[in-house]
Amino acid sequence: MEDNPADVILVREALEEYGIEGELIVANDGEKAIAIIQDIDCETVSCPDLFIVDLNIPKKPGREVVECMRQSVKCKDALIAILSSSDSARDKEDARRLGVRQYIRKPSRLDEFLRLGAVFKAMLGHSGN
Amino acid sequence: MLARFPEALLISDDDWGIVGANRRAEHLWQKTEEQMLGRRPWEQWPGWVRTEIEEGHRRALAQEEPVELQGWSAKGVEGPLELRAFRWEAGIVTYYRPIPTEKSRAAYGFGDAMALSEAQAHLAAIVQSSDDAIVSKDLNGIIRSWNRGAERIFGYTAAEVIGQHISMLAPAEVADDIPRILQRIAQGQRIEHYQTKRKTKDGRILTVSLTISPVRDASGRIVGASKVARDITSRELQEQALREANAALLRSNADLQQFAYSASHDLKEPLRMVATYVEMLQRKFGGKLGESGDEFIRYTIEGAARMERLLADLVAYTQASTIDEEQTEEIDAEEILERALGNIETAIKDSGASVTHAALPRVRMHEFQLQQVFQNLIANSIRYRSGEPPRIHISAERQGKEWLFSVQDNGIGIDPQYKEQIFGIFKRLHSAAQYPGTGMGLAICERLTQRAGGRIWVESELGRGATFFFTVPVRGS
Repeated sequence: MEDNPADVILVREALEEYGIEGELIVANDGEKAIAIIQDIDCETVSCPDLFIVDLNIPKKPGREVVECMRQSVKCKDALIAILSSSDSARDKEDARRLGVRQYIRKPSRLDEFLRLGAVFKAMLGHSGN
Repeated sequence: MLARFPEALLISDDDWGIVGANRRAEHLWQKTEEQMLGRRPWEQWPGWVRTEIEEGHRRALAQEEPVELQGWSAKGVEGPLELRAFRWEAGIVTYYRPIPTEKSRAAYGFGDAMALSEAQAHLAAIVQSSDDAIVSKDLNGIIRSWNRGAERIFGYTAAEVIGQHISMLAPAEVADDIPRILQRIAQGQRIEHYQTKRKTKDGRILTVSLTISPVRDASGRIVGASKVARDITSRELQEQALREANAALLRSNADLQQFAYSASHDLKEPLRMVATYVEMLQRKFGGKLGESGDEFIRYTIEGAARMERLLADLVAYTQASTIDEEQTEEIDAEEILERALGNIETAIKDSGASVTHAALPRVRMHEFQLQQVFQNLIANSIRYRSGEPPRIHISAERQGKEWLFSVQDNGIGIDPQYKEQIFGIFKRLHSAAQYPGTGMGLAICERLTQRAGGRIWVESELGRGATFFFTVPVRGS
């Protein structure tokens, strides 16, 4: 969930850098994100392996999307990494309360951003996918 | 008081130039005080007796004895005058008593000639010549005396106010000053430096400082009050202006802090975009844009990186300015130095620097402040090194009420003409290509030392290393 296309590309690069293959679904605002989660419950689609969430997305905030996930049938235990452009104490507090253990501040250097791929890989690796 | 002095009285300077004359004197010579100022007393007499009168004055002063002056005539009065003269701190006082004859009594409207003591005349002279308003009133608040200072400050002549109630001077908003003051005086209390407002003849409101004391008669009974009023309107205006300037300055400072903080914060995101994407350009298209293309990309990357460092330092600078000035605990400067060195361990190791120090004291300063100062100064010493490995020595010495710290290095030194400039924000003496740095380190040090109540400066010569000095005041425990 990310509204900045520049950061979507960077995430894609990071995933590719560490050989993570698969489909990247992008929701660029909170409403679309919630709609996608609700679809997952209704359809036969399975829950994505990893959610990468920016808390500052338009329409509905990232916080609400995560709450929606926690209440969904299929997605309630999904892996979530928060990738945020802010360092605000409030966002970190929100993340903690939502039970999200990965809180990543978007790095300002390309090599550091790409290394996030390793973090995502580790998260996926642990889950056995 | 002087107005009601029953004799003609002149106050002169050391050279007999008249500086004050009372009503009786004006009447006697048929001249106003203005007209007599600057002249000598004997010049009030017609020319043909002048020398004789002058001589009489000088004799009266020298011998401290009354002298009889003959040949007086004014307004149909004839007869001799008795002159007494004596010195007081700012000049000479002379008073003239008509030697009583039937005629002179009638002309002057005297009852009995009063016996005067020199002390009375002396005090009267002092009162009259004061710049402050000196006014006396009875217990009902009726004005009994009014000096020159009061005339000048309030604009009313003595004739206009004597016999009037003192409340004529009080503007409506402080009207209840008067009864309160009279009540306290009646109880024998004294009022000192009471700041209030009074009104002049032309309606201006002045801020005055009043000191009022009870006046007692011979039996000790309180019969009135004596008031000294000092016009402090201009002083008050200055204080008011100062308070407003201070408040404006504090507000402006707070605004600047806020602005600097928001600006640094808001600049981070766009900067991140520029920095990461120019690196993406290099990653995807490096080598495909030719040598120039690669060079341009490199400059952009360096520019973005530099912007990031500047921004980080700017944030540090604004934070250095927000440190609470509240009293701090004592800290061990040696311990703080070790911590600072720990933070720049890599730089020290990479440059082969050796950092030594003498025994350092305990001082009252925030840990963060001292650590930053040490860190920035030592990092500078390492950065601006000469051909040899950096050797840096830190010491401290007690000088009166402060500790004088010094950080000495064997680096490239600083041209003395720039030794103040280098403390400016973003001020550097070298380009980024020659030596890296953002020009904020010393500005931050200056802010921090100032906040701690000290100063910072440098002694150096080009090619001979530099020694940075900073002070930390010793506060009472």
